[in-house]
Amino acid sequence: MSIIEDVGGQVRAATEEFPVALLGQALEKFGLAAERLRWVRQESANPMGVPELSAATEHAESAGYALRVAQEQLSAYLSAIGLGADGAPAPRPEQRAPRHDTPPAAGPTEVAPEPAEQVRMRRWWAVRVAELTGGREGADDEPDERVDDSQELLRRVVGGVRSGDRDRLRTELRRAPADVGLGMAALTPPLLRELAAELLGHPPRATDLGRLRGELDGRVRDLLPGLPPPVLETLLTRVCRMPPPRASGEPPHAADSAVTAGVATGLLLARLGRDLPATPPAGADRPAGSGQPTRTDQPTDTSRPTGTGQPSAGRAAGVGARPGGVAGQRSGGLPPRSGSPWRDAPTRRGSDG
Amino acid sequence: MASVAELKAAIDVALQQIGDGQTAVQAAGEKLSEAQQTLAGALEGSGHETVEAAQASLTQASQELEDCLAATLVAVEQAQLYVSTL
Repeated sequence: MSIIEDVGGQVRAATEEFPVALLGQALEKFGLAAERLRWVRQESANPMGVPELSAATEHAESAGYALRVAQEQLSAYLSAIGLGADGAPAPRPEQRAPRHDTPPAAGPTEVAPEPAEQVRMRRWWAVRVAELTGGREGADDEPDERVDDSQELLRRVVGGVRSGDRDRLRTELRRAPADVGLGMAALTPPLLRELAAELLGHPPRATDLGRLRGELDGRVRDLLPGLPPPVLETLLTRVCRMPPPRASGEPPHAADSAVTAGVATGLLLARLGRDLPATPPAGADRPAGSGQPTRTDQPTDTSRPTGTGQPSAGRAAGVGARPGGVAGQRSGGLPPRSGSPWRDAPTRRGSDG
Repeated sequence: MASVAELKAAIDVALQQIGDGQTAVQAAGEKLSEAQQTLAGALEGSGHETVEAAQASLTQASQELEDCLAATLVAVEQAQLYVSTL
């Protein structure tokens, strides 16, 4: 191994150690905690730490973004010094090799496998969507970078639901990156409550749970045959401002409530003959997705119920748009800190401090 | 209707989940610090602009993680304060 290959190997090893998966775990936990706290504080003026938790989530997302930027920059560096991302010498450009010098074919070129950790991080959303929609895992689960905000994904999901085509619904959901998919869970609560209020003729309450279940359960099950029953029940109890059913068995998968909320939104919109509103103009006060639905046959609908005014979480509309300060940041190579600030970082667990 | 006991239990679960997230963030910070040191050793002397940019990005990531942890600490305090008033 040459010296340059050794350097490449060290860089690649360090890059693989970037804590992308740990950040994913943290984001999942913060998302669950925020969801629960939001339920608790629905009728309370006390912020109860939710804004701070949203800020923490955004910091964690920004950290993940900075890590991905660093990975790309290091990969570019390896290429610049003549190494592939896997630490091996980069293949020479074909046109420079005289035909008579071309070495004999040595079988198909092997592509360096993506680190398993990154593959899992990228695929868990698509895998769960396949389970929920009763489909097989396929090759069409590459994230579609064009779906970079949850509002657009919700619009696609609503279209899939309206068509009644489970394959289309599965395709739309699986193409989205996980963070965009999870963002639907933050977009939909005010919409669901508004739509349910319109369907019922009054704000949903505990006595309406049965009717809403009757409206949605069968069709949700048609579209999401793999959905654990408690997920829809929990969603409907939230719409009716009721405490969630007591947890039993395994905790729900992180994707379940987001997917279910998107599908339920689509079903209620279809039931009411409405569609999602157009993307609000830039600078609108409310984040995308928290706007009221509009009737498809009535562009100007003044009869729709007033919104709850509940702001969406920070992850909602701008999930895909990461802070721009990192990519272009060139600080002249700030040296890494010699001591880790994390060794003695305090954590607070539970209510016992 | 929910009782105070149920509210407290729900907040307690949320606090537990925040604690789990904090643990993951802390571990991420440690791994990131190790990766930074490894890279600093391997790339010492390099003046390549992508190396400098990558190190700046990693510093940024580390700072974001610290800010993340600090924000969760405040969130936990707020939630605990609310529980104490119930």
